[in-house]
Amino acid sequence: MANDREILREVWEGKLPVCFKLDPDEVVELQQPDPFYLMVPRLSYFPLVTDKVRKHFIKYVSSDTQEHEMWLEYSAQPMKWHFPIGVLYDSMVDSDHEALPWVITVHFDKFPETQIYRFSNKETVESYFMACLKEADVLKHRGQIASNMQKKDHNQLWLGLQNDKFDQFWAVNRKLMEVSGENDYFKYIPFRCYIEDGYRQKLVKPVGDDGKRKTLNDLLNELFPDKDNVTAKIHGMIPPLETPLQWMSEHLSYPDNFLHLCIV
Amino acid sequence: MSQPDSNLDLQEAENSLQSLSIAQEGDTPSLTINKQKVDILLKPTGNAPIMKKKKWTVDSDKPIGWIIEFMKKYLKIESQEKLFLYVNQTFAPSPDQTVRNLYDCYSTEGKLVLHYCKTHAWG
Repeated sequence: MANDREILREVWEGKLPVCFKLDPDEVVELQQPDPFYLMVPRLSYFPLVTDKVRKHFIKYVSSDTQEHEMWLEYSAQPMKWHFPIGVLYDSMVDSDHEALPWVITVHFDKFPETQIYRFSNKETVESYFMACLKEADVLKHRGQIASNMQKKDHNQLWLGLQNDKFDQFWAVNRKLMEVSGENDYFKYIPFRCYIEDGYRQKLVKPVGDDGKRKTLNDLLNELFPDKDNVTAKIHGMIPPLETPLQWMSEHLSYPDNFLHLCIV
Repeated sequence: MSQPDSNLDLQEAENSLQSLSIAQEGDTPSLTINKQKVDILLKPTGNAPIMKKKKWTVDSDKPIGWIIEFMKKYLKIESQEKLFLYVNQTFAPSPDQTVRNLYDCYSTEGKLVLHYCKTHAWG
């Protein structure tokens, strides 16, 4: 696999400029804080990149909320920290309102308990990430590759993502992206299709019973048999419907090894 | 498949767990399918207490977090205590993952088998 290595790097380097603004109602100082600007990797998760944001705003909020967990909001919706940043952007920002930087509201007060989960620390994000990766491997290789890896390989994947180190991450991830034994294809394609407030997942093979390789179009037809003209977005672009699924899985998956497709 | 009392129990738990109904707001049917029920089989592992009734019928749009809260209530486990659910004895699904997605991908012989444990069992 990975003959198209430059594509892997291109995807890895995708970044979004974000402008964080503290909710004015939470400011207790006389002076409003300046907004905080940050370039964030699309493939990362907000809890991994927002330590500086917290530090910047914390002195402006009341002392009893300073210890609270910070949470983010866009377009009156709390952001799910466990979705990769690129997935949040592609699913929450509709194409008519695409303007950069992405303006996000920061809160310390009134955590929306019923809408998003708490993450007590980065380990919570890590265990969520590793669970996704293992699930993807169950779909691709019946879980054989991830479960035979050593703890240090798992650490290397996580640190590679956390520290934005492409080579460190891919040195291990390429094993997860290989086809095993005599097969030319994964068993199933790990993907999540984001619609409305959640996502759909289903078993879709990369190759048909007739031996013909399947495309993005086949996946969308299997998932939404009653709908025509479904458009899927990933990494901020709309891949051609005739893109082969196996190639997409190998080259356009997020670090958790899933293809996160946002229906637009 | 399910005993007559099972849905009743679930209903009861559901009423008392309204506040925890994360990810249920997207219930409006449009792209999604109508309400379906699926069978799940709950198996203890490690030190987990045994549930007298193992097989349940649940709405497929329920999130895994809801199942965990229901089980804690049924097993009389304190809500701050941990309970982990595993699919294929391999990975712990996210609390907002729906039963339907897991059923569609990992069910065998018409049921979704979930192992549960009070400590991390796999990974």
